[in-house]
Amino acid sequence: MRIPAFLVLALLPLSGQDAGVTHNDWLHYGGTQFSWRYSALDQINTSNVKNLLPAWIFQTGDYSEYLGSTPIVADGVLYLISASARVFALDAAKGTVIWQYRYPTPRPGIAGSHSDFIQNRGVALSDGKVIFGTRDNFLVALDQKTGREMWKVSVDDPKQCGCNDLSAPLVVKDKVIVGGNGGDQAHRGYLTAFYTKTGRLAWRWYVVPAPGEKGNETWKGDSWRYGGGSPWLTGSFDPDLNLVYWGTGNAAADFYDADRVAAGTNKSKDVNLYTASVVALDADTGKLRWHFQEVPDDIWDYDSAYEVLLMDRQIRGQMRKVLVHMNKSGLTFVLDRITGEFLSSFNVPEVFNWMTGVTEDGKLVGRNEPALGKTQSFCPSTAGAKSWNSTAYSPRTGFLYTPTNELCNDITSNATKPTEGRFFMNGDFPATLPPNRSTYSHVDAWDPITGKRIWSVPYKYILLSSMLATAGDLVFTGDPEGNFFALDARSGNKLWSFQTGAGHRGASIAYSVGGRQYIAVTTGFQQTIVGGAALGLFPDESFRAGSTLVVFALPEGSR
Amino acid sequence: MTRAFLFLAVAALAAAQNLQDVLKQGETVFSKSCATGYCHGARGASGGAPRLAARGFDQAFIANTVTRGVPSTAMPAFGTTLSRADLNAVVAYVASLNGVANLTTNSGPPGAVAAKLTGDAARGRDLFSDAVRGFGRCSTCHEIGGIGIAVTTPIAKVPADAAALKALATPQVSTVTVAAESMPALVVGKKANAVIFYDLTSAPPVLRTELPASIQTREGSTWRHSPVIRLYNDAELSAILTYLRTAVKL
Repeated sequence: MRIPAFLVLALLPLSGQDAGVTHNDWLHYGGTQFSWRYSALDQINTSNVKNLLPAWIFQTGDYSEYLGSTPIVADGVLYLISASARVFALDAAKGTVIWQYRYPTPRPGIAGSHSDFIQNRGVALSDGKVIFGTRDNFLVALDQKTGREMWKVSVDDPKQCGCNDLSAPLVVKDKVIVGGNGGDQAHRGYLTAFYTKTGRLAWRWYVVPAPGEKGNETWKGDSWRYGGGSPWLTGSFDPDLNLVYWGTGNAAADFYDADRVAAGTNKSKDVNLYTASVVALDADTGKLRWHFQEVPDDIWDYDSAYEVLLMDRQIRGQMRKVLVHMNKSGLTFVLDRITGEFLSSFNVPEVFNWMTGVTEDGKLVGRNEPALGKTQSFCPSTAGAKSWNSTAYSPRTGFLYTPTNELCNDITSNATKPTEGRFFMNGDFPATLPPNRSTYSHVDAWDPITGKRIWSVPYKYILLSSMLATAGDLVFTGDPEGNFFALDARSGNKLWSFQTGAGHRGASIAYSVGGRQYIAVTTGFQQTIVGGAALGLFPDESFRAGSTLVVFALPEGSR
Repeated sequence: MTRAFLFLAVAALAAAQNLQDVLKQGETVFSKSCATGYCHGARGASGGAPRLAARGFDQAFIANTVTRGVPSTAMPAFGTTLSRADLNAVVAYVASLNGVANLTTNSGPPGAVAAKLTGDAARGRDLFSDAVRGFGRCSTCHEIGGIGIAVTTPIAKVPADAAALKALATPQVSTVTVAAESMPALVVGKKANAVIFYDLTSAPPVLRTELPASIQTREGSTWRHSPVIRLYNDAELSAILTYLRTAVKL
């Protein structure tokens, strides 16, 4: 049953906040710069989703890789990037190619470093340009109309840093901001902003402060040089506050802290700033406005690099501008996004042993840390209670939708010294399945303000695809076996499912062309890193690679 | 002034002659070692192995692949079987098949320089690509031994001291005007439908591709080498020059 519009307004748990909602287009990685992955389209809804059928299918040709990018749609054109950086502009109603571009095979980075993996998480669209990062760490801008290369700029040297910039850039006014990976290498992370018009540098903000800068005192000796913290995903932007929000990565080395944390350090205070934090930066200058460190002395590789959802919600009777942010541990924080003040937190995974809780002012309690030369099981795993695939938020239900995994890993730390750009994790960490369970993931709906889990739908393997929420009160995601499915956003009941032929490690989006709503999903499962770990954990399964976009709509005439 | 130009012209001619010889040598090596029907075919036009011509490969990528080979394929690592001169020549030849504008005749296996340095040269090597200096480091525009971004042609002649490095003349930088904005530019490619150049207005340089009709180019510019190396003091520049003297000789 669909709810009349006037009732919807009455039910809305928040102010008429439209900045987080997509309509016909899907212009940003997270839908909008508020990163909700929520569409106002409701032509496809709980009553008719059972009729959903493929409208068109597009194969990028990168069939031996995975398709992990979030497509962008503007004015009836869909922009898609494949793992090896083939870029396509497609007619979003028919799937025909308007133009295509292929980034030349780059020189390899450091073997085995992040710069060596073939992947891409999406393009950004701004100023008539399609902008993306490359494996050899350039940022490239193509002409949105023709696919012609317009500018290309080196963000860093992957041969030296072992890093690159394969997350979708975030467009902020006249700039494009890109985070980089490399926080598991001996590297010092940063965000870099370039002018979309010229490709020229606007600003760079280093996650780890240099000597003389505030926060450097939280690092032991010279350890800041290779302190990690790489903000390797895509941030958010609040135009009213002119603030950019970003999650930062783990401190390096990941599993051994004696070289970066002075003995006797109080870990209920900030340690190794600004790693494993949410930061707010001035959008024009890149200057730090505030920070909140979620995992002081992160020694479990629980980076906080994930998406930041900006929303206005009633808290204790008062409308507040908040942000909701989950890190890899599954601990999810609600902060005042004007000041960074801690408001509340909730913990999403069922299996955890790295801490026992969080105080009322946001401090970790009962830390359980890896120790040198000793093998211990820690949960969640470094693959994350959630991986880098995004959550979604519906302003109609007020719920946050999370793909949660229940994994552990056996960490053995070591004290290897760093070499610039080379792996600097200082530990082995084979993933394991927690005992006495038959399911290892679940899609949940959470009320982020009360921290209450509303419903939970278990799944036997793990979930590594982003969530999509729509005004049709539907929640979409896909699984590694290839099923793409829709749940009722209020109850979690499964309403529809379609076997797309390859595993899901990307995202789905909603858009509309000529009055017809489409749901597009990327398919093709990741065979390395977290996807590879999943293949190892479930050896009897074959979560297949591929690189296909499958686009669904209601049959013509049935709407 | 005239004398300087004359010198540059002679040097350019000598370099061009040298390049032609190297490409000729590369073609010979290629036809013997790479062009069989089982492999890449004459002029890299493809055979049993992939086509190499007009693939958009850059020279560093070619050098790396030729030197190290491609694991689990029939492509061997030529780094140990070809002489250094033959390897450089065949890399330059394959790069020429890919339309690389600024051909290097001395690719060198990546990392070859890094290993054996001590003292000032080692310090200079670290300073050359010092991450703490961000885009103010030498490797933002220069590549040596596989480290750095090859915006410019390889360094062939090392200035005598820090003062000479700061005073370095850069006649290859011209002034490009696009949409009424003039900028110092290093033109690296001219095709019928595109002019490709680095905008040197700020670091890092931005590789721009413009339609020939939409830009104007004139010789010379206000761009100078000294401001872009300002994050180094004279002692550091001197160490870098020591490194360059060693690396360029190698």
